[in-house]
Amino acid sequence: MKADIRFLDNPEIFCINQIPAHSDHRFYNSHHEMQAGVNSLIQSLNGKWKFRYSINAKERPEGFYKESSDTENFDEIIVPCHIEMAGYDKIHYVNTMYPWEGHIFRRPAYSLDGKRAEGTFSEADYNPVGSYLKKFDLEEGLFGKRVCICFEGVEQAMYVWLNGVFVGYGEDSFTPSEFDLTPYIREKNNVLAVEVHKRSTAAFLEDQDFFRFFGIFRNVTLYAKPVIHVEDMWAKPTLKEDNASGSLALDLKMSFLTESGNMIVTLKDDAGHVCFKKTVLVKEEIYLEPEEIENVIPWNHHNPYLYLLMIEVFDKSGNLMEVVPYKIGFRRLEIKNKVILLNGKRLILNGVNRHEWSAKSGRCISEREMKMDMEIFLKNHINAVRTSHYPNQIPWYSLCDENGIYMMAETNLESHGSWQKMGNVEPSWNVPGSIIQWREAVADRAKTNFEIFKNHTSILFWSLGNESYAGDNIESMNHFFKEKDNSRLVHYEGVFHNRIYNETISDVESRMYAAPEEIVRHLEENPVKPFILCEYMHDMGNSLGGMKSYMDLLDKYEMYQGGFIWDYIDQALFVKDEITGEEVLRYGGDFDDRPSDYEFSGNGIVFADRREKPAMQEVRYYYGLHK
Amino acid sequence: MDCTNKERKQQMEGIKIVYGDCTLGVHGTDFHYIFSYQSGGLESLVTDGKEWLYRVPKPTFWRATTDNDRGNKFPLRSGMWLGADMFIDCTGIDIFVDDKKIEMPIAPENNRYSGNETAEKVKIIFTYRTITVPATTVEVAYEITAAGDIEVHVHYYGNKKLPELPVFGMRFVMPTKAVSYRYEGLSGETYPDRMAGGVEGIYEVEGLPVTKYLVPQDCNMHMNTKWLEVFRNTTQDNSNMDSSIFGLKFSSVEKEFAFACIPYTAEELENATHQEELPAARRTVVSILGAVRGVGGINSWGADVEPAYHIDAEKDIKYSFKISRI
Repeated sequence: MKADIRFLDNPEIFCINQIPAHSDHRFYNSHHEMQAGVNSLIQSLNGKWKFRYSINAKERPEGFYKESSDTENFDEIIVPCHIEMAGYDKIHYVNTMYPWEGHIFRRPAYSLDGKRAEGTFSEADYNPVGSYLKKFDLEEGLFGKRVCICFEGVEQAMYVWLNGVFVGYGEDSFTPSEFDLTPYIREKNNVLAVEVHKRSTAAFLEDQDFFRFFGIFRNVTLYAKPVIHVEDMWAKPTLKEDNASGSLALDLKMSFLTESGNMIVTLKDDAGHVCFKKTVLVKEEIYLEPEEIENVIPWNHHNPYLYLLMIEVFDKSGNLMEVVPYKIGFRRLEIKNKVILLNGKRLILNGVNRHEWSAKSGRCISEREMKMDMEIFLKNHINAVRTSHYPNQIPWYSLCDENGIYMMAETNLESHGSWQKMGNVEPSWNVPGSIIQWREAVADRAKTNFEIFKNHTSILFWSLGNESYAGDNIESMNHFFKEKDNSRLVHYEGVFHNRIYNETISDVESRMYAAPEEIVRHLEENPVKPFILCEYMHDMGNSLGGMKSYMDLLDKYEMYQGGFIWDYIDQALFVKDEITGEEVLRYGGDFDDRPSDYEFSGNGIVFADRREKPAMQEVRYYYGLHK
Repeated sequence: MDCTNKERKQQMEGIKIVYGDCTLGVHGTDFHYIFSYQSGGLESLVTDGKEWLYRVPKPTFWRATTDNDRGNKFPLRSGMWLGADMFIDCTGIDIFVDDKKIEMPIAPENNRYSGNETAEKVKIIFTYRTITVPATTVEVAYEITAAGDIEVHVHYYGNKKLPELPVFGMRFVMPTKAVSYRYEGLSGETYPDRMAGGVEGIYEVEGLPVTKYLVPQDCNMHMNTKWLEVFRNTTQDNSNMDSSIFGLKFSSVEKEFAFACIPYTAEELENATHQEELPAARRTVVSILGAVRGVGGINSWGADVEPAYHIDAEKDIKYSFKISRI
């Protein structure tokens, strides 16, 4: 398939040639490397890239991906980073309005008049393009193997070429896009070209309340697959009613270049004792029936006990080909008598919404910041997180597994500006709604979210997205999760605005910012579903007063199961003050960005530099009451 | 001489009163207070030779609006208190010496006094009239005991036609920036609807921190305070070469007070859209408050603070505190 600029305008095209989403397991070619924490199968492409900024598609250096192209006038940029933060395009914060509000009139393709809206993005006068080039030699560990590339996060639409050949296309800014480079790659002098467009039809689905960036903002990594490789794994631990025994089933998808071999699947407890060991013949698809496990220690917030699942893959001659370690926990999530129970006990969510944020680098954050956040969570009795409003970087999920943080794993979807205008519900042209041409795009986002993170014990809820109204398309996302995964619940709040879908969307009644008395009214009227607040206690500036009224509900109503404070961290950026030269924090509207919602980006319980706000002691107190 | 002896000597000698033409001076061995008839309040509060007042303390009615205040349009309802906070008229002064009300001692009435007047107790009451529509009255009584302590009794007269108040109390602006303050009360920044997490204790705060909210707004409030000590080591007195630390204490009388001790007035905070727009920190603004509105938290685009944490302008507010040397 040839790259076509019209992909940008077509909601039915959101990925081309991508490797199907798969579990986020790590793999090594030896025990030695695994223990040493090195991996010769991996090559990072982070660092300096050549870069050219253009204001729209017409102005872009169209043939830049060709090996013969002249890149004299290219600059340098660091990958990963937001293009705006490198100074190329205006930093812009706006909440619910689409970022082109007041600048460009747009309606989504196939909405209203049902037309295709060609040129909406590809012909726009303002729709910046970042043309990235990376020359690289393959590292030795990847020689002669199947080599793939993983872009962990690229906002918002990208075309990829290697050595002049079109490799593929991807949207969905917050989940990995992977491509098989094997047919085009060579040991030396590879030229990787990535063309990133600021807006595409995906923009209608990514209207989150945040700074509106574009560019390659997460890691870019090459990886080589061993001769026999675990492509995908789904470990399915269960905990029985006795909370003392369980079972483990395992689905695997394998790929192999030569004759297949054997694998040994081992489960070890924290002390290294083998709970289970099995040798299996390698096939393309493997389904290990549930294996009974005795003396199981359940996973929860207070004791986030994890077991080590180890898959060792051998070829026919018994040579080790690949080692896959994965930590899993045993827990049981269910709804009984309209109450969510974890391991038989009523679940209480002392939660917080978290955007990935750094005052220095925007949504481009490192593991250091994740670890700081986790420390702050634990110190302040925060036991739950909602990944508002998109999948986060992979290490955060493991941190939540290890620290017993109950996770609401949200899909990358928000179409706020399409159905709510100036605070009023006005869904005349909303997406994804029930428009058939938008269905696959959102279904794929749900599927990707699921496939990548399905092994994470901490995930208790799959969230369909945020503030995207409700229609057949979101209903189909709900259906997907329900069909796939009975070990978790499905969450979606937007059905509140369109009650037609009450029975087919969301396992829980979720609300945001409902006043305590509204919640009482609801709970007194014989409700059907357990109740949670996916957002509450809007901590903008000096706020967080009146938390007691919410905490009291926990004691009064079994079905009230807590919520997630809005939100964890102020979104503001360090800027050198023009007058004093000192580093100061700036927010929406401070970059001549209009329209803006100004300081509405700052609602954290920590400031943008991660210092705790004074209100934190109140959080610590109340979240400590129902530990 | 130790403190007790000093106090005893002071009590025996009584306090000296200077019946000036424009001011009333009240002095002891190590305190020196001047009440101004022209400025309508306590113009000078000197302890151990150090001046504590930059301008005459006045009643305060405003806090810099919080994001939630703006979101629920509180300033649109109660904005007239901002004007009242900035501009206020002193309409009456009453003086009591040893519990007896005296004729206003300005010339020629004060000609009958000498340079050697003493008393055991002096009270001076300033009556203020707000510029709100309708106007209301605040009385501030300063009662000086023989030991040199000042008890301040503050009385706001309620009026049912006035909108809810953001805060009510007294604001003291000190000439230079404090180095630290100590208080007995709750940890951290607390408000009536956000103080469950505050832990009771004695706390020392270095410098005069201002909570760095993205948009400067009311901050550093401390509820349920038993006492507050403010420490400085600088003055504006050009002849003062002494940089040792000196302090002033505010103590609760009957019920605990709320306070904020920061380098800015509510208006200075209100005017800034970013922290860096705040002026250089050069003074100490101590607000000793009898009533504080909650901050709210349900949302920031309309939800009001819970009713229990509003300040009803219809009801009288009365509270007292004591100012003393350390």
